[in-house]
Amino acid sequence: MSGRSAIALVARREILERIFEKSFIIGTAVTLVVIAAVAVLPSALGFGGRDEYSIAVADPAMRPVADAAVRGAGAFDAEVEIVGGDAGVTLTEGGIRAEEKPDDKLVNLLQAANARVSSGAALRDAGLDAEQARRALSPEPLRVTTVEPVDEAAEDRGGFAFIAVVLLYGQLISMGYFVAMGVVEEKNTRVVELVLSTVRPRVLLAGKILGLGLLGFGQLLLLAAAGIGAAAASGALEVNGDVLVAAGLALAWFVVGYAFYAAAFGCAAALVSRQEDLQSVISPLTVLLMVGLFVSFPVLDDPDGTLAEVVSFIPPFAPMAMPPRIALGEAGALEVAGALAVTVGATALLIPLAARIYSGGVMRTGAALKLREAWRAARA
Amino acid sequence: MLELDGLSKRYGDVVALDGLTFAVAGGRMCGFVGPNGAGKTTAMRIVLGVLEPDAGTVRWRGAPVDAATRARFGYMPEERGLYPKMRVHDQLVYFARLHGLAPADADSAARRWIERLGLVERARDRVEALSLGNQQRVQLAVALVHEPEVLVLDEPFSGLDPVGVDVMSGVLRERADSGVPVVFSSHQLELVERLCEDVAIVNHGRLVAAGSVAELRERGRGGTEQVRVRVEGEGDGAWVAGVPGAELAASGTRGLLVRLTGGGRPEELLDAARAAGTVTHFSLERPSLAELFRAAVAA
Repeated sequence: MSGRSAIALVARREILERIFEKSFIIGTAVTLVVIAAVAVLPSALGFGGRDEYSIAVADPAMRPVADAAVRGAGAFDAEVEIVGGDAGVTLTEGGIRAEEKPDDKLVNLLQAANARVSSGAALRDAGLDAEQARRALSPEPLRVTTVEPVDEAAEDRGGFAFIAVVLLYGQLISMGYFVAMGVVEEKNTRVVELVLSTVRPRVLLAGKILGLGLLGFGQLLLLAAAGIGAAAASGALEVNGDVLVAAGLALAWFVVGYAFYAAAFGCAAALVSRQEDLQSVISPLTVLLMVGLFVSFPVLDDPDGTLAEVVSFIPPFAPMAMPPRIALGEAGALEVAGALAVTVGATALLIPLAARIYSGGVMRTGAALKLREAWRAARA
Repeated sequence: MLELDGLSKRYGDVVALDGLTFAVAGGRMCGFVGPNGAGKTTAMRIVLGVLEPDAGTVRWRGAPVDAATRARFGYMPEERGLYPKMRVHDQLVYFARLHGLAPADADSAARRWIERLGLVERARDRVEALSLGNQQRVQLAVALVHEPEVLVLDEPFSGLDPVGVDVMSGVLRERADSGVPVVFSSHQLELVERLCEDVAIVNHGRLVAAGSVAELRERGRGGTEQVRVRVEGEGDGAWVAGVPGAELAASGTRGLLVRLTGGGRPEELLDAARAAGTVTHFSLERPSLAELFRAAVAA
């Protein structure tokens, strides 16, 4: 049998054995529900709409300020309602009293209202009639123009980018685990010797990585489609060409990141023979993934900052740091291509090293091996 | 003919194989015996390509064995192992296909072996749900599912109950009779003696004795013949002294053990025995495989 058809055979087994597992089906279903909920909930719960405030007026002299606040709230993208009795924020003589630190927006709104009322009074005292005072106090609003075009959907895409980071992290770490657990299971049950009497270790590793990768890719595709579909249906996200390209590129980054991490997880797992020992050898990789997740959060806030630009070129982090920058429209085509080339190059260097360590370690049972021992064993 | 030629393998300072050479002919069963650590498992792993030898070659039908040839070998490793969560039928199909069978052939071969080994009721079960005995049957089926040209089994009888031993011996005999060379390692020397035409004894990674079991036992007696004889109504065996070249080696409840040297002939001993009383037992004694093994390993 050729190496290629043996790889296909191994990959097929990995997919078929995993896809019908109850835990896999349930896990996928739960993630689907969570993704759809995260995509739909913000708009369903009214987040991102106008802020609504209730205020009370304790000092009748402050009533005009309260009324001005109600009228002027629109400029702050807020709504103010005056209630009798208790409210979190109360206008008192010459001040604002609150139970706890009041919202900054509300404070600004009330300060502006107060300024308007007292300026109005001052203007009338100076002899202006009401119409003149109103005009003096309500000038034409300043027109806002930008050098770069304003993308109205940028905020929606922030949510999209965030979900992309979390999904990529989750998918990379869970598929990495699957590879590692599969390798150790074969060692632990000793079935690996039987398999290796028919195929080379590299073929077995390649088939396992390919099979689980296809499974992970399909699962991610499903989650992405469900998330984007739900967000589009609920109006939380306007799905256009940019969004689809960003989603497609995020999937491409998954492929590259998965190849990198799967090779690393596979060779790490080959060093041990028991599930109990697995955690200790793969923890450097899970930590690396977590660091990648955590550096991607500031990247979400500042997608064209120095940190974002640097981590996009660090292979273990790029698969999580680059997709949100693409989603936010802050990475140029050249930069994306460059980062992709660096990560693909690093993966191409890693794979033969990982395959050799795997080959050296996979037939050794007993105590955990050191990397160097596995490396030497493969040479013999 | 499966030939192991000059196989050497060391792990650091430990020499596992030191120029091991022997051959197994098609249609014959060869017992591969030796003390623990003699190198049996290492040798079998090299035959199957699971390990690379430091030196030496394995040949099948005169040509060095490569991956394509090995696909037609059947193997049962000492460390039994199957995919625990995979179903019996799927597992057999998977291994058959790894050995190069087309999907339809793999399926029918799997069904055939499931039937042959009495696993029909269990075909859809996961291997981990099977009893140990049934798991061992699946293990055997995995080694045989692709109709191998060569069978290599590492301790196939260990852990089997008497029924399992019968099933295993029956299947191996059948494979050998169909022309396949069957080589298996075992510490159960009586079993090897009963089943195998040939035996190869290894120690410290080297071959110390090999050949047909009958030939080895014949050779093992050296220039002397030993006869076990029991004569009713006769006590001390004094009559033995009257036979030329005969010498009483031992006597006990199993009768007398007589050693014949220097041209002493069994027929003359029998005549003398019949003259002494009623002969109830008369047999030429050959050293057992266990005795040969101890002698070979001690040397």
